Amino acid sequence: MAEAFYRTAAQLAYSGCDELPQEFQPDKHLIYSSPATLAFNSPGAQGFGVKRAGLAIPGSVMLLISPGCCGRNTAAPGPSGRYSGRMFYMLLDETDIVTGRHLSKIPGAVKEICEYCSEKPTAVMLCITCVDALLGTDMERVCRSAEEAAHVPVVPCYMYALTREGRHPPMATVRKAVYSLLKPMAKRADCMNIIGSFSPLSSGCELYRLFNKAGVRHIREISRCKSFGEYLNMAQANFNLVLNPESRLASGWMEKALRIPSIEISRMYQIDKIHNQYRLMAKALDIPWEDQQDYDAAQEEIARFREKHGGTVFAVGEIADADPFELSLALLRYGFCVSEIYGTINKINFWFLQKIAALSPDTRVYSNLSPTMLYYRPSTPQAGIAVGKDAAYYHPGCAHVMWCGEEQPFGYDGVRSLFKAFAKALEGVAK
Amino acid sequence: MKGLLKVLSPFAPDQSGAVEALYEFGGLIVVCDAGGCTGNICGFDEPRWFKKKSAIFSAGLRDMDAILGRDDRLIAKLKAAVEGSGANFVAVIGTPVPAVIGTDFRALKRIGEKKAGLPFLTISTKGTGLYDEGEEDALLQLLKAFALDALPVEKGILGVLGATPLDLSSLSAAEKLTEAYRQKGWKDVRCYGMGSGLNAVRRASAAQQNLVVSPAGLKAARYLQKKFGTPFTVCCPLPHKLPCDFQSFHGKRVLIIHQQVFADTLRDSILQSTDADVTVASWFMMDNALRESQDLHFEGEKQFQAAAIRGGYDIILGDKMMERALPDYKGRWIDLPHFAVSGRLVP
Repeated sequence: MAEAFYRTAAQLAYSGCDELPQEFQPDKHLIYSSPATLAFNSPGAQGFGVKRAGLAIPGSVMLLISPGCCGRNTAAPGPSGRYSGRMFYMLLDETDIVTGRHLSKIPGAVKEICEYCSEKPTAVMLCITCVDALLGTDMERVCRSAEEAAHVPVVPCYMYALTREGRHPPMATVRKAVYSLLKPMAKRADCMNIIGSFSPLSSGCELYRLFNKAGVRHIREISRCKSFGEYLNMAQANFNLVLNPESRLASGWMEKALRIPSIEISRMYQIDKIHNQYRLMAKALDIPWEDQQDYDAAQEEIARFREKHGGTVFAVGEIADADPFELSLALLRYGFCVSEIYGTINKINFWFLQKIAALSPDTRVYSNLSPTMLYYRPSTPQAGIAVGKDAAYYHPGCAHVMWCGEEQPFGYDGVRSLFKAFAKALEGVAK
Repeated sequence: MKGLLKVLSPFAPDQSGAVEALYEFGGLIVVCDAGGCTGNICGFDEPRWFKKKSAIFSAGLRDMDAILGRDDRLIAKLKAAVEGSGANFVAVIGTPVPAVIGTDFRALKRIGEKKAGLPFLTISTKGTGLYDEGEEDALLQLLKAFALDALPVEKGILGVLGATPLDLSSLSAAEKLTEAYRQKGWKDVRCYGMGSGLNAVRRASAAQQNLVVSPAGLKAARYLQKKFGTPFTVCCPLPHKLPCDFQSFHGKRVLIIHQQVFADTLRDSILQSTDADVTVASWFMMDNALRESQDLHFEGEKQFQAAAIRGGYDIILGDKMMERALPDYKGRWIDLPHFAVSGRLVP
């Protein structure tokens, strides 16, 4: 019987990042489609894809210009369903695709939508897909024509799945698109933006408190902006705190166009690394930063869990608010076992993989996208907790911590919440 | 504006219909896309995907594959995936990307079969059509590829064509249908695509009769009739109990919006017990032979709104997702879930 392809952490670390087996190189094989890969294939089906992300501007609406197939999942009753009143579709037929005639209709469609809406939209996002990517559509020009016709800002959103691994993947360009309506404003020393995700940081995250303490009175995130005016005030920020590398394109543009410099930190679950990162950030910003209390609280939460569930074995997936390799390394360093990791290896997380190989050389690493995952069976002994939607799919019988909610976990608060979620999941299974 | 949807959202596309038709036959299904189409098909249009494994893959096309037309790379990936898979066949499903770059599906089939040593079905869907078009094509190709021999007809075998969750809006529809027809005296009900596998398709010529439950199955039924002389009837027994009493339809103008065969069957049931004036309408394919003069075909949101209001219907039976497009409609709306419209299954 065929088996799912895997390599141990030790084998992968030995081979090196440039010599990964083909099964770990998505461009070398077909992409397996299972519930574990849904977020990869169709980010909009779960969480945020370009369509939902493009509506981050308060009061905006979106016109999706595509064949019917591209807009199908927006009818889903899931998170994107709540945007149904803000989504409009211009369906392309074969003649449109061949002749590109649909482009001349877009300004009229935008005007019709604006007239239809009970309240004039603050902006119309024009979302185009693989078809226009291949046709080479100059969407900037189309947007200008639509602006003239409807007297409303019109912004292009490129849902080009074909460029997923390119220099500017869709989720990076849409991050830039949603900030593109900001205009330069006078800077205020007590204002900052947090950019990176389309939903807010967890309200309990220490960043809010610690920045407040350091004198920052207005911490803005696009997802917390209740009005277009509040959104525009993001241009007052003294600096941007970037929490997701996919926002570098956006932060680069904001630096150039709005003169807002940025500093980037990453989501991590190793508390010493969080501490180091914060220390360096505070030094660069030249602000006071006292996070010992938060550090201790996170450490206590970990200790509490370890005391009760010390022998827990984890299976860690990538459809979660964590890098599976960094999270696995954190768990190993806290004294737990990680039997399996499901993830996509890149140059950055390979560094974590090397550390994992030293601590747990036999940890199995799988690629969700490999066609052989069709034959996947969990290794023995089975994991006690599966972290992430993909790991939960592979391990239906154990405790599940999906860890991909709407609010974004970060920092010590993220660590604390995660270990609380672990304890809750195990208690649920025990009951 | 034609093609502009302000209230409704797009219905299940042709590529989803093709995948649904082939889902349960043990084939290796490759959606020729960059990933998004596969995600939409599986995550939204194929409710079995969360419960029943099937070998569905995305070709994982990237910009340079499309620009340079690197079909050789696709064939190599397919060949690698086929090895040791035990797949019965390979199905390559078209999407807007191959439609734009003009992929030669016939060549893909010829080369693929040679390299992979398995039958290839290539369904040239474009993502611009509706689900029944893809389903019709896939079902027909499947029968042409596997129902080859004229076997002796066995009394009591009923073949069911055009049954997918998109058509029947239920995961248990095939079981209910099988049970209903067993009670009518059929000893072996073979629901192609929902419950019956590839062997049933190979033995399709042995069926005494075929039952067509959606317009997407008509072409396949006509093909089997022509090739093997298998007669067919058209009827879609209701997969669920309706939340209404037909007696209340007496003297009313009624509009049923669904796939044509289901709506026709419902009309027949209504007319058996009342003298209502019933019109059937569909957004999907409508066969002229089944159509009555007053029946309607919807092509756009505006046309739907105008026709539904102008018709002066007292009662509309249709998926409730459509109701929001008719804010001025004053009559009674009875919800009739259609998975291809709203992605809702019958409870």
